[in-house]
Amino acid sequence: MTFSRTMANRLGAVLLASGALLSSCASQHVPDLAALGPEDEGVAIRCGRVLTVDDEDRTFAPGLILVKNGQIAYVGAARAVPSGYTIEEQPGMWAAPGMVELHAHILGSGRDINDMVYPVNAELRVSAGFVPGNADIRRACAGGVTTLYGIPGSGTSIGGFGVVFKARTHATYDEAVVRDPGGMKVAQSYNPERRAGDLGATRAGLAWILEQYNEEARAMNREGTSTPALENLQKVHARELPVLIHSAGSDGYPAAARMWQVKNGVRAVLSHGCFDAHLTAPWLVGTGVPLNVGPREIDFVSTHDGQITGVAARYLAAGAKDLSLCTDSPVVPQEELFLQGAVAARYGADSYTMLRAVTIAPARVFGLADSVGSLEVGKDADIVLRTGDPLDPRSCVERVYIDGRVEYDRRRDGQWF
Amino acid sequence: MLRPQTLLLGALLASPALAGGPLAIRVGRAETVSKGTIEHAVILVEDGKIVTIGEDLPVERGVPILDRPEWTVIPGLVSCYTRIGMDSEGGDDMSPEQKASDEIWPKSQDMRKVVEYGVTTLGVYPAGNGISGQAAAIRPLGATVDEMLLKDSVYLKIAMRSDSASKKRVRDGFKKADEYDEKVKKAREKWEKEKDKKSAKKDEKKDEKPDEKKMAGVDGQDAGPEVAEEPKSSKSDKKDDGFVPPPADDKSRAFVQLREGTLKAVVAFNSASDWLHWLDVLGKEPVHFDVRLVLNLDCDLYYVFKKSEYDLEDDAIADRKIHAIVDPVLTFTPNTRRVRNLPMELARAGAKVCFTPRVDELRGYKDWLANVAELVAAGMTHDTALRALTLNPAEMLGVEDRVGSIEKGKDANFVFLDGDPFEATTRIQAVMLDGRIVFGEVDL
Amino acid sequence: MIRLDITRWLAFALTFAAVALPIRAQEGEPAGEGEKKDVESADAEKEGDRWFAIENGDIYTGTGEVLRGATLLSKNGKIHKIGYDLYIPPATKTLDARGYRLYPGLVAISSQGLLGGSNSDPADTIDPFNFRMILGLATGITTTGAGSSAVKLKRFSIKDAVINEKLFASFSWSGNNPRAKSDLRDKFASAAKYQRDYRAWQVKLKEDKTAPEPSKRGVDNTVLSVLQGEQTAKFNANDRDDLLGIARLAQQYGFRPVIEGCQEGWTVASELGRAGARVIVTPRDRRSKDERQASDGGASIENAAILYKAGVPVVITPASEGVDLGGLVGSDIMHLPFEPGFAVRGGLPERAALDSITIEPARRMGVSPRVGSHEIGKDCDVIVTDGDVLHYKTFVQWTVIDGKIVYDKEKELYFAHIRPRPEAVAPKKIDAGETAVKPETEGDVEAKKEGESDAEKKEDVKKDDVKPDDEGDPK
Repeated sequence: MTFSRTMANRLGAVLLASGALLSSCASQHVPDLAALGPEDEGVAIRCGRVLTVDDEDRTFAPGLILVKNGQIAYVGAARAVPSGYTIEEQPGMWAAPGMVELHAHILGSGRDINDMVYPVNAELRVSAGFVPGNADIRRACAGGVTTLYGIPGSGTSIGGFGVVFKARTHATYDEAVVRDPGGMKVAQSYNPERRAGDLGATRAGLAWILEQYNEEARAMNREGTSTPALENLQKVHARELPVLIHSAGSDGYPAAARMWQVKNGVRAVLSHGCFDAHLTAPWLVGTGVPLNVGPREIDFVSTHDGQITGVAARYLAAGAKDLSLCTDSPVVPQEELFLQGAVAARYGADSYTMLRAVTIAPARVFGLADSVGSLEVGKDADIVLRTGDPLDPRSCVERVYIDGRVEYDRRRDGQWF
Repeated sequence: MLRPQTLLLGALLASPALAGGPLAIRVGRAETVSKGTIEHAVILVEDGKIVTIGEDLPVERGVPILDRPEWTVIPGLVSCYTRIGMDSEGGDDMSPEQKASDEIWPKSQDMRKVVEYGVTTLGVYPAGNGISGQAAAIRPLGATVDEMLLKDSVYLKIAMRSDSASKKRVRDGFKKADEYDEKVKKAREKWEKEKDKKSAKKDEKKDEKPDEKKMAGVDGQDAGPEVAEEPKSSKSDKKDDGFVPPPADDKSRAFVQLREGTLKAVVAFNSASDWLHWLDVLGKEPVHFDVRLVLNLDCDLYYVFKKSEYDLEDDAIADRKIHAIVDPVLTFTPNTRRVRNLPMELARAGAKVCFTPRVDELRGYKDWLANVAELVAAGMTHDTALRALTLNPAEMLGVEDRVGSIEKGKDANFVFLDGDPFEATTRIQAVMLDGRIVFGEVDL
Repeated sequence: MIRLDITRWLAFALTFAAVALPIRAQEGEPAGEGEKKDVESADAEKEGDRWFAIENGDIYTGTGEVLRGATLLSKNGKIHKIGYDLYIPPATKTLDARGYRLYPGLVAISSQGLLGGSNSDPADTIDPFNFRMILGLATGITTTGAGSSAVKLKRFSIKDAVINEKLFASFSWSGNNPRAKSDLRDKFASAAKYQRDYRAWQVKLKEDKTAPEPSKRGVDNTVLSVLQGEQTAKFNANDRDDLLGIARLAQQYGFRPVIEGCQEGWTVASELGRAGARVIVTPRDRRSKDERQASDGGASIENAAILYKAGVPVVITPASEGVDLGGLVGSDIMHLPFEPGFAVRGGLPERAALDSITIEPARRMGVSPRVGSHEIGKDCDVIVTDGDVLHYKTFVQWTVIDGKIVYDKEKELYFAHIRPRPEAVAPKKIDAGETAVKPETEGDVEAKKEGESDAEKKEDVKKDDVKPDDEGDPK
């Protein structure tokens, strides 16, 4: 499958390359979306290679990206740059979309992620503790991560609502935040189990607590009523907001899928999926729930069959679509999101699919794909320039654009990562 | 069967003094271990020994017959590495002089009880870690220690781990033996000097003769130089020229005997690396030894079963054709749940497998045959399994001339079963030790 | 007589040619049967010699050269020859490495658990069957530092595994403990004085045989062994000020320290270079700058590169020196080749990055005459990989120690299921070196990246005649 796709891609690319040649000859006659008006700002990035990570996995070498007012106005083969653009010559660089992280806790304060008194905290929003451009976020940016979903911890069943933000290195709350609430955070197993003597010491108790709240929120949706405490949970059940679920193991992972994907039918994304959860991959994939694998990318101990199993590879082999990877930062440093892709590829997954797993796939499953995750016309100009393969630790991030602005430049800022 | 005979035999059995009279045993099947299986076997027993065995042998009139055509008889089981019925605490880590025979307690209930599970010979070792002392081969029944003792000092138990402490104990042991050698050498020099003085008085020319003689004796040895340099045992020295070497002290004696070959070692360990460290610490010491392999669930000992299997630099266990005492358990390939039958692999590689019960307690003996049967079900051959319960351990203890198989001249130690020993439904019907029924209801 | 000399000379010449020059076999060579035999005898085949050859692989010698499709021949565990068209004695065991690469076995300056025993006493505790050793070999590690010893991962054997002992004298030098610093300085002073006195005494002895030997009282033996070059002084230090202190101490007393950690080394690289310091660093170390200080500080991904450029030999070690099977991947000893990748990211040349886990740690441990590169006479410790050893997808296929295969990926459960080797003998490009992106056109921009080593360039020159199937070769 990989091979034939490779061939198709190559063939397509050759065709595109020749098409690009033609179009560059005829470019003056094409009506130009990228033309700049007097108020517009434009940057043209000429680079050695552009990885669009779009539906066709198109790549252009050499390539050109035109950024107009913070959005991508053109991406493709080299062509004449319309007048008014500032031209950036980066001939040795590979341009790729900024990476997207769905499981980050680097909001600025390690304390502000778990409120442990109640098992369900659907009224809480973690954005209250968000520090834009904090040190972790800056380093994340220097590692090529541009969009993050910052979430509460897994100490309670519903930790609250997370915030989707850009990894702007110097920005105000309003400049950085994309969506607040960005989605809900649920912890289903391996952490939220309560130890204080109240209900919820067992998975059964936790499930009962959650289902009571879900029932209440759904009932209110049916009746068309609302309370401030459940307002956001109601949005989850109305499929207006996605929910990221912390779960793992062959016990917890399918249980989470049953509750949220199969029974409640919300926009669920199952995170972690480590230990021996991969043993249930065929069933899980069958439910259609998107998986967000990490930070543990291999399993040896739980499967107990002497094999070092690449977890992502197992889900892919079972047919998982839009599989994404996560760092659970700071568990794995946020700037090493690419490395999650590298190790998943090492342990059996396909490199290109793993690049998608840290860019377009998470964007898609979290409803962000219309603005981030790939280099396509009309999307935010979140562009990472590297010296090579985005998954290779040896590739150095030279520059990161977020919304068309240079947020990190190795030469200007010094090398942060 | 005639009633009077039963009564008569009952009387005979009840009185040990009269038990020596002849008895014919006629069973459906005898698994002799050493001479194959004999159908319709007849065994003639007299004075506690096997007089003869054969198929359908005629029995002289007047000889009482134990006639059970539905039974199978096998040799009494031999447990060569056990502390059943022994209850002393372990000594220090280095007590090679300690003897298990000193702590045998003839009234031990456990020993009486193991007989019911078919065990007629025990090899008991002294308690303790490290080098804990010397084992004894015994009958489990007897009024006194002497009556029970088959053979003393059958092996020196050495526990081996991949650590400096274990290796140091062995090195220290041989160092002690070296010190003793030195002592013997000095004593001999002194003795020879005195002898020379005496002879010098008689004739100066004879001066060098004793030396020449000694040199020739050394050169004439067949064994390698290491062996040749070893001091001879007191016996051989005595024979030569009347020199009496000083007695070895307690701590060095066992290691001196190990070198001489008059004492054997049983090295206990549980991982493949322990074997290499044992060989390393042993160096070129000419020691006879067998091994006790403790099979843990994730046991990796299969790496050192056969040299050719993993292209080892040293001999592996089976290459040495030694006895390997193992637990009758199935294990896993490490880090997996893939089952391995290590005793079977060991036997196939060429080692002489001896079984010990899974736990060295009565319940272990109670399930012993059933546990071995699990390995047979998992591929080990019936004959290998039976031999590993009888003749191999008897050889290991050096008492194979007495026990371990059903052969003419050996002790009449039998286990009578109502079927194949490795069938789950089979039960022990009776046990005979030295010609006496010691367990089971027997009519004649 | 004369004829004999000529044939001997011929044999020598041919042998030399085989080693030095990658010439092809010359079928029409006028060498008759007689000469050929002499060539063979030049290899001095003896009964019981153990021959092993890895054939047709791309040999990265670790000394800068790359020999494409060449053969490495080992005799009795040592590298006997490297080159083309070698005479292979009939009893040789061979491994066909066509399409694969040969690198020197990796050297971990330090590791935990690979030996299965205690690092303080490897000779008596090593477990050459433990599965962490297998995972170490699967990583490509053939030699590791253990405490103060250098130990080979000789699987299935405990003989001669320890190849060097008592390497390091560890000292502490920390701003947190100024007393310890002054104590250490005093020790060096008194040891240096003793050395001078001793030398003076030896001169004096020639005139006055009764001159009293200087007293060793109060002289620290460990420090003295450092000054006499018997042991290497090793410090664990990260602070800029501490690093400068060590550099000054080293310059004053004339020894070359090894500094482990060295997180702020990049801020004082030239001082460390001048002091002859050598470092053991972890490129991904994190340390924030002390904001009270005006000068540069904190950890930097460029640390290794900057130190290297200042002439400081760099050894790289991962953040976790044990095998981590908990699932978090990429910073433990099982991913040793990942860490130098991060140094390359920070600007270290690829060649130096490879050296940092091969020859440099071997030098630090005093075992470079035996391991760390492919050179004639060194131990035949080879890893055969399916791609660039620093690439994240590359797997070690075979590990060879002392001319013996001790690890075969296909024969162990651990990684056999991941991209199994094609059974076919036909050379097929393994995708392990693939980048995230497939090259779509001929003459792609993939050709060369910054920091590419000379070795890599050389390989391009040779690729046409040896290995046509070179598409998608990783960089």
